[in-house]
Amino acid sequence: MPGFDGRRRHANALLALALVAMGCATEGAGRDATTLVAAIETDPGQLNTAITTNGSVHTAAALLYDGLVSLDDSLRPTPALAVRWEIEDGGARYRFHLRRGVRWHDGRPFTAADVTFTFEQLLLRYHARTRASMAPALAGIEAPDDSTVVFIFRRPYAPLLQQLDVSEAPIMPRHVFAGSDPLRNPANVAPIGTGPYRFASYTSHSEIRYTANRDYFRGAPPMSTLVLRVIPDDGTQVAALEAGEVDWIFSVPGPARERLRADPRIRLRQSPLGAGGSNCITTLGFNLDRPWFRDVRVRKAIAHAVNRPQFVERVLFGEGRAADAPISSQIAFAHARGLPIAAYDTAEAARLLNAVGWRRRGAGLRTAQNVDGVPDGTSFTIGFKAMPSQSAYGDLLRAQLHAIGIDLRLELLEPAVFAASVFTARDFDTALGAYCNGTDPEIGVRRMYAASSIAPVPFSNMAGYRNPVVDGLFDRAGAAIDPAGRREAYRQIQEIVVRDQPYVWLVETVNTQAYSVRCRGFGGVSHFAATAECRR
Amino acid sequence: MTRRFVAGRLAQAVPTMTAILVVSFILLHLAPGDPVLALAGEHGDAAYYAFMRQRFGLDQSLPQQLVTYLGRVVTGDLGSSYVYGRGTFRVIMDRAPATLLLTGTALLISILVAIPLAAVAAAKPHGARDVGISGAALALYSAPAFWVGQLAILAFALRLGLFPVQGMTSAGSAATGWSHAWDVIRHLALPAMVLASQEIAVLVRITRSTLLDELPRDHVRTARAKGLGEVRTVVRHALPRALLPVVTILGARVGHVIAGAAVVEIIFGWPGMGQLLLASLQSRDTPILLGLFLLISLTVVLANLLSDLMYAAIDPRVRLR
Repeated sequence: MPGFDGRRRHANALLALALVAMGCATEGAGRDATTLVAAIETDPGQLNTAITTNGSVHTAAALLYDGLVSLDDSLRPTPALAVRWEIEDGGARYRFHLRRGVRWHDGRPFTAADVTFTFEQLLLRYHARTRASMAPALAGIEAPDDSTVVFIFRRPYAPLLQQLDVSEAPIMPRHVFAGSDPLRNPANVAPIGTGPYRFASYTSHSEIRYTANRDYFRGAPPMSTLVLRVIPDDGTQVAALEAGEVDWIFSVPGPARERLRADPRIRLRQSPLGAGGSNCITTLGFNLDRPWFRDVRVRKAIAHAVNRPQFVERVLFGEGRAADAPISSQIAFAHARGLPIAAYDTAEAARLLNAVGWRRRGAGLRTAQNVDGVPDGTSFTIGFKAMPSQSAYGDLLRAQLHAIGIDLRLELLEPAVFAASVFTARDFDTALGAYCNGTDPEIGVRRMYAASSIAPVPFSNMAGYRNPVVDGLFDRAGAAIDPAGRREAYRQIQEIVVRDQPYVWLVETVNTQAYSVRCRGFGGVSHFAATAECRR
Repeated sequence: MTRRFVAGRLAQAVPTMTAILVVSFILLHLAPGDPVLALAGEHGDAAYYAFMRQRFGLDQSLPQQLVTYLGRVVTGDLGSSYVYGRGTFRVIMDRAPATLLLTGTALLISILVAIPLAAVAAAKPHGARDVGISGAALALYSAPAFWVGQLAILAFALRLGLFPVQGMTSAGSAATGWSHAWDVIRHLALPAMVLASQEIAVLVRITRSTLLDELPRDHVRTARAKGLGEVRTVVRHALPRALLPVVTILGARVGHVIAGAAVVEIIFGWPGMGQLLLASLQSRDTPILLGLFLLISLTVVLANLLSDLMYAAIDPRVRLR
């Protein structure tokens, strides 16, 4: 068929046009030299951090606010909105002296009334962690004058200073929230704070813009504008950093870490702290209501079959560390050293299982013979629930348990379904939880073991573990003001739960952040941009 | 006549969409998961979650919630988003233009590219060009959009630096007018081409086969016999008839394009309804989800209606009744 030249000419013209268009597109996105761009994964929806513990809200908005104290790298309290404090009545009364001359972003003065209002009307009602841990112990908060706040507890309360930083207790302006429904206050999307940055604009699913607070009490941030870009895909976040479109990403996916480390334009840094949770230990939980886990020897056997360094190597790509205690090593005062934690030993695992009655022929699955509560001949097949982001843990665990004749059936459930099925319905054999210990064991450790935390609440006592001795020790630790006393109570707790093995503590995870070499001076995760500076 | 046809079709859409809404409502509420978790965050106690549930009206029974919801929808109120604390309609409408721009551009690109390619391929069936074009179409059709998208970012944005990696505008851009438009076009190009690539594949294959049916027909032979050039013969005499089924398919593909847009939006950080859909699914923001379902089903109904009207316009034999 002759005569298609005309069409080919058209096609060539189109191609040429496309190339011209592409050529033009290379003009760089001219960015203001004083703008810092950071990527966030999720659109936060709103920017009030006092009414939620949702990590995406805290990541996006923490820079707008301050707590009474800040926590340094070793979690020691340092002055923020409070400049100094006294502990009275053996730890049942805390007196805070507030910084004078601090102003809200709208120019109104910050006073003690803002602090009492924030706790009474916002944090103790709507902030899940602060409400759950502080509210039961607190008798009241008083403001004897404009620059003094007194917390009065029913009994000595040790962890308070760890619960007053910007992520646990951001202070909100009373004049904005008084008399309104805090969940529907327009200020939630046009917030007023005291923090290093003030709110400028919010385009949902696109970007949030902040400008430097020139009057910030610690000094104005060096960069005049901060832009938080919503980039849901972590691979795209990495590409945007490599292309110079963003200067900072909060989390580097494992597979991209080596590539970024080799890139001279990019620096990496690690932190056990994150806006979603700090000092996290990825933990395997046994459902103690299931007959085959009632015998501690079965739980011990599984713990002995787990090769923790392999998790660090293959799942975490070499970052983080094998957990050697139930409390994170980052909470140094509470973390116990030298515990007799089950070591990787498949022979010991096999011995324990044989002793219970789980017999194995050759390399097959174990079957029950005279196991209490399990019909004879039942094969050792157990379910394992985790979230899709944790599938690598499941694959490795399955391989490791297979070596001792246990078959793990993996079930990956998206977060909302996971929470409903594991914590509400308690319909699981084993499950994986990323338990974040927080800045104090009272915040994130107690809930894993206390009998009162066996509740349809996500990341509470998953195992269904009950031990009155442990409950009593937690009460003692929460009320012990002297550090040695607290340390001793936590040590005893860890010894007992290592013996009882309701969980297998796998690995302590860290967050890896990455940033452009053009920038320096990044601070802690919540106020990462307060002191950051970029050259263009 | 046409007016009656349109009114009739729209009337038919009412029960369809009501059914979609009720079924989605029930399915969403039967699925495990709780919006309170996403809103309030973890680490609360049971009393706290009960308090929050009551604050959001989630403590009522399912039939009660359904009746309340439908009662509101009838008055045009789609309820309030749990996450955004604003009216559902406004939240969705904030995001709709971005998706409309992306899908509209992708559909346009796919039509402009696919139909000429199909004509070239059909000109000499099983020739080298046909094998090349059909093969490429099949390969694109089989490649998942998220993978094509990531490759496109790596190759065109990162390696060659031709396009920005993500977003709809440059970060912190204060541009207005033409420079703003140009900024959006630069950001639009790559995601639109990735989304179009999937549609191009389908359109090329369909147009090529309908053209192959058309080319041996008498009226085409007559056109050639009259001495018309090949291009004119194909464009004026074969294509119009060959495109009739394509118009139908295009109408039916609109739903597919919107679904594909969700994937593309997430990869490219495009601030449209697809991102909103995924985020709302994760946070169980049911008012937003139902609003999106309603809008998407409405779009599909309208697209099909439009393709029927176009059919009538192109083909004089078709009478709308």
